[in-house]
Amino acid sequence: MAVDSAVTVARLRHGAVRTLVTVAKSVAIVVPVFLLATFVTFALRSLSGLSPAHIQLGEEATPEAVARVESQWGLDQPFLQQYWDWFTGLLHGDLGTSWVNGAEVSTLIGLGLGVSVSIAFLAMGIGIVAGFVLGTVAALRRTTWIDRAITGFVTIVSVMPAFVVGIVLVTIFAVGLGWFPSAGYVPLAEGFSPWLTHILLPAIALSFDVVADVARQLRSGLIAAYRENYVSGALVRGLGGRRIFFVHVLRNAMGPALATLGLKFPALVGASVVTEWIFGLQGFGRFANDSAQAGDVPAVQGVLVVSILMVVGFNLVVNLVLARVTPASQRGV
Amino acid sequence: MLSLPSGRIAVGLLILIALLAALGPVLAPQDPLATSDNTLAGVSGAHWLGTDYLGRDTFSRLLAGSRISVLASLEVALVALGVGAVPGILSVYLGRVFEWGTLRLADTLVALPFLLFAVAVTALLGNGLTQAMLVTGVLVSPLFYRVSRAATLTVARSQYVEAAIISGASVGWVVRRHVWAKVLPPIAIALAQTIGVGFIIVSSLTFLGIGVQPPAPTWGGLLASDLGYLDYQPWAPLAPALLIMVTVWASNLLADAIRDVSGEAGRAFVDNRRDARTASNDPSTPLPLGGAR
Repeated sequence: MAVDSAVTVARLRHGAVRTLVTVAKSVAIVVPVFLLATFVTFALRSLSGLSPAHIQLGEEATPEAVARVESQWGLDQPFLQQYWDWFTGLLHGDLGTSWVNGAEVSTLIGLGLGVSVSIAFLAMGIGIVAGFVLGTVAALRRTTWIDRAITGFVTIVSVMPAFVVGIVLVTIFAVGLGWFPSAGYVPLAEGFSPWLTHILLPAIALSFDVVADVARQLRSGLIAAYRENYVSGALVRGLGGRRIFFVHVLRNAMGPALATLGLKFPALVGASVVTEWIFGLQGFGRFANDSAQAGDVPAVQGVLVVSILMVVGFNLVVNLVLARVTPASQRGV
Repeated sequence: MLSLPSGRIAVGLLILIALLAALGPVLAPQDPLATSDNTLAGVSGAHWLGTDYLGRDTFSRLLAGSRISVLASLEVALVALGVGAVPGILSVYLGRVFEWGTLRLADTLVALPFLLFAVAVTALLGNGLTQAMLVTGVLVSPLFYRVSRAATLTVARSQYVEAAIISGASVGWVVRRHVWAKVLPPIAIALAQTIGVGFIIVSSLTFLGIGVQPPAPTWGGLLASDLGYLDYQPWAPLAPALLIMVTVWASNLLADAIRDVSGEAGRAFVDNRRDARTASNDPSTPLPLGGAR
């Protein structure tokens, strides 16, 4: 009994240490990435040559007035000083104020984040489930007509850009059949089904890309894993097909598909710019587009920082899951 | 790659699209910018694809818009190639500092949601298509970096290269003589994929009205204006959408055909994992190559 619990404790400790090591390794990669990405983001203002003075005073402002406004915004400081102020602000969750309306950028982003995050995660969920089913069925029935049909379907799906799918879905299901609202968003707090019907079409539009990649990676991963010796070994030991699939093959085949998910997330966040435009949603991507076109640099920088944070955070989670599912994949890092 | 039927289809389609880009503006039966009172007309002999909300001939606009879309996606692919492939090969040879630096740079670029960045940067830097393509090219360049680096790594560790170096060959000679041959097929695959990706991004940007001035027709822009009149012309988005999808499909098909023809060299970075495991019992990290998107 005592030995049992000691073994359990040792195992838990081993697991915890391994998780910590993975987190530490991932953070070691993430920190320089984050610093570099924020620096590029910040440098955008200098590169663009935009100034709040032109937005507030118009194009015909006197140089004195421009200088006054710019010093109010701290733009007369040295570049690195500005970057440092902005960056320390970021660490406190302060993304600065909008040049256009003087509101807190973090508040403005918070307004749209709910829509975009709901859609991104629903799209991810649809992509994982559909991609998993298609990839698995294709691999288990490989070289049959089912496999060929799925592969063909996946090919078609993979060349459809999110905004094309979005337009088709709006045309058929919202305008044509009237099953779904064609625009707008309802928060989850106002009920599950209105929330879902408003975000389902954009999520499906975004999910196509994920479906295609997960299905492809899983199919080739599964086919490769079934050729390994441990599968023959398991067969010889008399294990059932289901057990071999779930315990041996799937776990080894999932690595590339999981790694793909980490790469797909930035694409999902990015594509929200277009889908939110199509579906008339006031989300994160729409805000980015509107702010960029209005020349509202702090707002754009805020959006980019938040999107980088989301991507980096999501990749951290994917890495942890990868380390858990396929420990061997971590040795090479 | 012309020995494969899929390769022939891909090349044929791409040549067609290139012709469309070269001759489209000339072939257009009517002035793509000329408005008329005949707005939102259906399909007819005079207007093969109807007219838009300003009475402009949709078919002519489609043909005239092909050049911008095709040229821009080529530009994305070439910028990405230049920015990504050279450091990818050099990262193997120029020492640990350069390697570490470029690897982190590639990680950073991959972490950026590139459509969002392309939109933001383009709009801020002056809203021109050239800026947009430069930015997009840089953002997708990690694909070339990883692909050329992975291929170079496998060459650099092979015995014939070791033999060449032992017999006194310089790094430059090894790169010219041996590395190019191994790196070119994966780069060609990446190039074909990137043209497809570039096409999607260009269409998305022009769809949002970024990078082009309003009256100029683009495939993405056509879709955007169709979106407002779905009640009258629900079939209107079909033609530009199909053109975009066929182009992307053709470039993906070309990528697959090159991969199949180039055999081991092209597949090196995909099968690496299995080969390494069976050869030395040392599974390496699955390379996060995936699709380029």
